[in-house]
Amino acid sequence: MKKKSAFRKLFGSREFLLAVIVVLMFAIVSAVNPAFFSFKSVTDMMKNNAVTMVMALGMLCVMLVGGIDISIMSTLALSGMSIGMLLKYEHIHNTLLAFVIAMAIGTLCGFLVGLVISRADVPPIIATMGFMYIYRAMGYLVSHGGEWAGASALGTFKNFATTKILGLSCVIWVIIVCYVIFFFFMKWTRTGRKIYAVGSNAEAAEVSGINVRNIKLMVFTVMGFLAGLGGALQVSVYASAMPDMQQGGEMDVIAACVIGGVSMSGGRGTVIGTLFGAFIMAMIPKALPLLRIDALWQNTIKGVLILVVVLVNVILQRVADRNALKGREM
Amino acid sequence: MSEEYILELKGITKIFPGVKALNNVQFQLKAGEVHALMGENGAGKSTFIKVITGVHKAEEGEMFLNGQKVDFKGPRDAQAAGIAAVYQHATSYPDLTVAENIFMGHEIIRHGMIQWGAMNKEANKLLQRMNADFDATAEMGTLSVAQQQMVEIAKCLSTNARIIIFDEPTASLTRSESEELYRIIDQLKAEGVSIIFISHRFEDMYRVASRVTVFRDSQYIGTYDVDGITNADLIKAMVGREITDLFPKPDVKIGEEVLRVEHLSRTGFFKDVSFAVHAGEILGFTGLVGAGRTEVVESVCAITRADSGNVYLEGKETHFQSPSDAMDAGIILLPEDRQKEGLIMSWGLGRNVTLPVIEKYAKNGLNNEKKERELSKELLEEVDTKAVDIFQPASSLSGGNQQKVVVAKALAQEMKVVIMDEPTKGVDVGAKAEIYAIMGDLAKQGYAIILISSEMPEILGMADRILVMCNGRKTGELSRDEATQETILELAMEKGATTKGGAA
Amino acid sequence: MAGKSGRTISNKPESPIKKIIFSWEGILILVLIGVNIFCKWFSEYYNMFNLLRQMPVYLAEVFLMMPMAFILVMGEIDISVGSIACLSATMACIVCNTGAPFIVVILTALAVGTLCGVINATILTNFTELPPMIVTLSTQIIFRGIAEIVLGSGGSISAANTAGFKALGTKVGKVPIILFLVAILAVIFAIILGKSTFGRRVYAIGTNRLTAHYSGIHVQKIRFIIYTVMGLMAGLCALFLVSTSYGANTTTGTGFEMDAIAMAVFGGISSTGGKGNLAGGIISAFIIVCLRVGLGQRNVHAQVILLILGVLLIAAVALPNLIGQLRRAVKKQ
Repeated sequence: MKKKSAFRKLFGSREFLLAVIVVLMFAIVSAVNPAFFSFKSVTDMMKNNAVTMVMALGMLCVMLVGGIDISIMSTLALSGMSIGMLLKYEHIHNTLLAFVIAMAIGTLCGFLVGLVISRADVPPIIATMGFMYIYRAMGYLVSHGGEWAGASALGTFKNFATTKILGLSCVIWVIIVCYVIFFFFMKWTRTGRKIYAVGSNAEAAEVSGINVRNIKLMVFTVMGFLAGLGGALQVSVYASAMPDMQQGGEMDVIAACVIGGVSMSGGRGTVIGTLFGAFIMAMIPKALPLLRIDALWQNTIKGVLILVVVLVNVILQRVADRNALKGREM
Repeated sequence: MSEEYILELKGITKIFPGVKALNNVQFQLKAGEVHALMGENGAGKSTFIKVITGVHKAEEGEMFLNGQKVDFKGPRDAQAAGIAAVYQHATSYPDLTVAENIFMGHEIIRHGMIQWGAMNKEANKLLQRMNADFDATAEMGTLSVAQQQMVEIAKCLSTNARIIIFDEPTASLTRSESEELYRIIDQLKAEGVSIIFISHRFEDMYRVASRVTVFRDSQYIGTYDVDGITNADLIKAMVGREITDLFPKPDVKIGEEVLRVEHLSRTGFFKDVSFAVHAGEILGFTGLVGAGRTEVVESVCAITRADSGNVYLEGKETHFQSPSDAMDAGIILLPEDRQKEGLIMSWGLGRNVTLPVIEKYAKNGLNNEKKERELSKELLEEVDTKAVDIFQPASSLSGGNQQKVVVAKALAQEMKVVIMDEPTKGVDVGAKAEIYAIMGDLAKQGYAIILISSEMPEILGMADRILVMCNGRKTGELSRDEATQETILELAMEKGATTKGGAA
Repeated sequence: MAGKSGRTISNKPESPIKKIIFSWEGILILVLIGVNIFCKWFSEYYNMFNLLRQMPVYLAEVFLMMPMAFILVMGEIDISVGSIACLSATMACIVCNTGAPFIVVILTALAVGTLCGVINATILTNFTELPPMIVTLSTQIIFRGIAEIVLGSGGSISAANTAGFKALGTKVGKVPIILFLVAILAVIFAIILGKSTFGRRVYAIGTNRLTAHYSGIHVQKIRFIIYTVMGLMAGLCALFLVSTSYGANTTTGTGFEMDAIAMAVFGGISSTGGKGNLAGGIISAFIIVCLRVGLGQRNVHAQVILLILGVLLIAAVALPNLIGQLRRAVKKQ
């Protein structure tokens, strides 16, 4: 086995391919409509998709250990609705405190999900399906049966999304900080690598002294934390809180991960890939009107894109396998 | 007295729900020796290893390391005390790099960050010590079994282990790879590492070990010096009785040609393979692991598709579209991996036996469960399965008895050609003899049999004719009289030397 | 044959009565009785007449549960069925509004559903490397996306000619047609899964796919059939959805896939494959239907009912596992 040059490794990697796709998409849309090619349009796009982008990181961890979490948008609604109501009825005023409360609620939700999955061995899809119902209903109960917390009720909290630091919206700073932390966490820390180890071979991880149950508990808790953060972001970006917000949005988050090359069976996926995946998901709704495609087509195009990405992936793999076989001398 | 031993265990008893996996077992390991641990499957060897490595905690008994009493709370304690194990099934992470696999759990860390550069360098040093031909940044999943095992050994070395346990390391290695492993073990021994070596193969024990301890039925039987012990002694110690004739090959008159394969090829797996097998004949199929033997018969049975070539059954050309076509025609494969391909482990024995033939007994698409129960009882008794009833799950049986269930499953069908792929892999000596007896009976009844095996004695003992493959090609065909260990090996290694390590 | 030691192996099956009492289905029947007693106590309007009258709204999902049970037994999942129902309902309404005879409307709904099922099945059987979750996730988005495009900016359509749909919603005597249909299909599906060679093969695939392939089972053919039938049943579900609402919109059938999965899993059908039977699924479906009718009569909000369902679902899967762990821990002591 020869050592691959770093150069070849870079160009052969999935992340590189995704980067090319992002640049191509960017170039095509900009060529058709130069309005797309601006700093503001990019930051707007990120801001509007902050929730998906941030939560994709948590989903990355969950999917790395071979799990899935479809309860996240219910967690988001519960935590977002909770601070919405607290602000509306003036129990709290401080923006930071609101964020902390939302994240605490999210973390607790995620912790419970993790407990059920790691301690009671409930398959993740079933457990999170149950919690999807439970948290959504709790969010609804918190809202006194469907009340909204509109922009006027949110006081200074909604300013978070419009405040800028060094020319960038606070929301974008949150995204950047999350991605930087996760990039280092996943690649350079022992705990980060343990997540990969558990997803790659849980049995082996157990033998080498990794507490698989605790790692699973941790990833779902992290997912919950990010869902809580997502709840606060959602409320501030859209300046409103309602109990049915982001219903079905978990599929967008999963799709971002899948497009970003995260494997459903665990062990494979990177933070960079997830970033590109989330970016591609974010560009679609933004690019369609610029390309004069009716917004009604948005979902169909999204779905087709996911399908095409996974199919192309399989076909490329098959071609590679075939070539490898042809190359074997006999 | 315990001073001369680096590791000593006394009176170890380990109880799992319902079974005593170890019953008052003892063991002594001298510093710098290679000590073989033998016994039939289920004798308690693997459990014993897990007690030493701290994975399991024994209910009773004491363990002394360098004369000091130790009490491991978990695998980490054992690791810290310098005990490491290379497990039977590679415990690797296929998606991670070699370096990560080696250093999992004890990564090189500075300022809370993993030092990738230092880790790769250190890993390459360890790999060079073993003359490995791959790099530390390679992905584990792309390596061959032998290469992965090297990584496992490097993992032990990286923890500065003074005691290394090998749990059936040669089970899926080819002969040349085994030789390489022996060399590494010799080297480790020279460096002063003490080694516990578990294996089913007598040749492994004779080659590397100086003493051997035998377990039987969760109990300690004895410890012997390898010099001066015979196969017969060992078998007696392991089985508890003497086995007079391991290979009861009956003299059968060889009949008409049943199956003929011509110029069969599948890109990347095998090329231009031709052979024929006759009624009452046992055709041995041998070669190194990865030579393409399994792939050839799987293509014959339409489990995978061949790219070119013809298969003739009783002189007529066949075009099987799916495995069921081949089965209907009477070509029955007993797959290599009983647990993954042969049986449904959580199902009852009866349902396993009748799975391929349910349709035959069904009325209007509905199962005839009564007939099924009768049929499976009859067949399971015919092959003398050690089972209580037909409803107990296949997973509750030993390897040998599981193999018998696979045979019963084949017997349920109309057979002409029986293809047995490594039928005695992981089967203990006692059950092996019974499987050979069944094979002999099948030949007597006039079935054409193809026996795929890597075990030389088995091939030499059972086959009428021996076909040798190397690297996807047929390299020779020997009659029973021509075949010797040496002639077979020569054919099996024909091109092996040039593609060392590449056979995956 | 080989060294016959004269050992005999028993083939007497356990008594079926013991089997039923100590099974999950046995527990479920008790739960069903308990739920009915509770509902009777909770709501003064809860009686047979009202149950039969209010049931149809919730029964449409049971059509999805039946083929979903097959998919779960195979160890797979299909989360596109709610979207298929949406698309089928939309197309049925469109055809209905052209003035076509009602039989054409029915055929349209079934055909659209089947076509969607065939699309899923084709992708899944040709690209076996792909997890069904991913494929049906993308088709979930696509099928509903197509419905969105067809429905246009209004996002809804109502059936102008409701006579046919009204007929579907009527009763034979006191029993609604849909209950008849559910009962008949339940028996058929249960027999196929539990008693037929096809069903046995489905369990084999769900427990060990490789062994199934080596044993000559046409794994891909069976998968193709099941996903296609899943689509067909989603079309049927769509017809009855329209028969209660006389229209369709972009949210028709949202979350139905989850409800169907929840019913099946609560009924003891493991999502990891190979376990459970349709009787459990049907009983659990009726538990859920009764609960919804009973709680609904006292205006308990749908979200609260979902909360109860979520707790029940998790408890149903978690409790047996926890009890098993506890038992093992006690034994070790």
